[in-house]
Amino acid sequence: MTEASLPELDPVIHAQARLRVTVALAGLHHGDQITFPRLQQLLDMTAGNLSTHLRKLEDAEYVEITKAYEHRTPVTLVKLTAKGRAAFESYTTALHRLLDATGGS
Amino acid sequence: MDDDEEQPMSAAESLNLIARQDERTRRELGASPARLLGVWAFTWLVGWGLVFLADESHARPLMPGWVAGIVVAVLFVAAIVYSAYYGSRISRGIRGPSRRIGAMYGWSWMISFAALSLINISVMNAGRLDPHTISLLWSGTSLLLTGVMYLAGGMLWQDKLQYGFGVWIVVCGGASVLVGVPGNFLVLSLAGGGGFLVASLVYFVRERRGRPARETT
Repeated sequence: MTEASLPELDPVIHAQARLRVTVALAGLHHGDQITFPRLQQLLDMTAGNLSTHLRKLEDAEYVEITKAYEHRTPVTLVKLTAKGRAAFESYTTALHRLLDATGGS
Repeated sequence: MDDDEEQPMSAAESLNLIARQDERTRRELGASPARLLGVWAFTWLVGWGLVFLADESHARPLMPGWVAGIVVAVLFVAAIVYSAYYGSRISRGIRGPSRRIGAMYGWSWMISFAALSLINISVMNAGRLDPHTISLLWSGTSLLLTGVMYLAGGMLWQDKLQYGFGVWIVVCGGASVLVGVPGNFLVLSLAGGGGFLVASLVYFVRERRGRPARETT
């Protein structure tokens, strides 16, 4: 392994839970948002766990979280930012380069 | 909190995780309408097939025409209910353009078919049409409208398969009038229902392949 010459993987995305959150959000159409409970259901995560990871993604400005009211009920809406989408794309590119470099093992 | 202490993923594990979550997201957000189209394929093939087999022009009709009519009505109501359920399920928890477009599209079906029924019933009453002409009026116009709705869907979602399917159904609408009664029911069943079946299978195969091309870009 020649770690030094290989591309660095974004540590914000390169963690199982946050990677799955990013993939799910990237699956939305442009301009769409998803409610917190639906995202939770898509990922099978506990609310606490999902909140923790969303906060980290939000700190990196990869995710935008909006609090709104619908029929006087508060809803939390989540979407991937343009920066987050770009980060995810370069992350997958890096993965493929790593895989090529290590001969697919 | 918890997973940062986990073993770091290898590139292959990571890609595998991406593929699995992506597949799940696509399935739940309705990227592949294979099952929905399958329900409609069944409705058209069986429903219109029975109407064809029950037609009085046959030496031995399979069943009385009114029985076939009831079966068609029940199948259509069930398929419409399933479609509404499918639409609400995939748009649950989603906010933004795609939910709005989906709702508008769903209502377009309802509104335009309600108007079509009103027009056809009025024409039937005003024109004192014979049963054959009535049959052709309904099969021709409903195939045309169904086809046009799929053309619109193809444009909305930039889906060539859906657009092509719309073209096919529109052509079937023209053909159903040309072949006359009871051939029009055969067009509805085999060409229309068969078209739904082919579209459903194509989406199913695409879903299975999981579109690996998307990841490698």
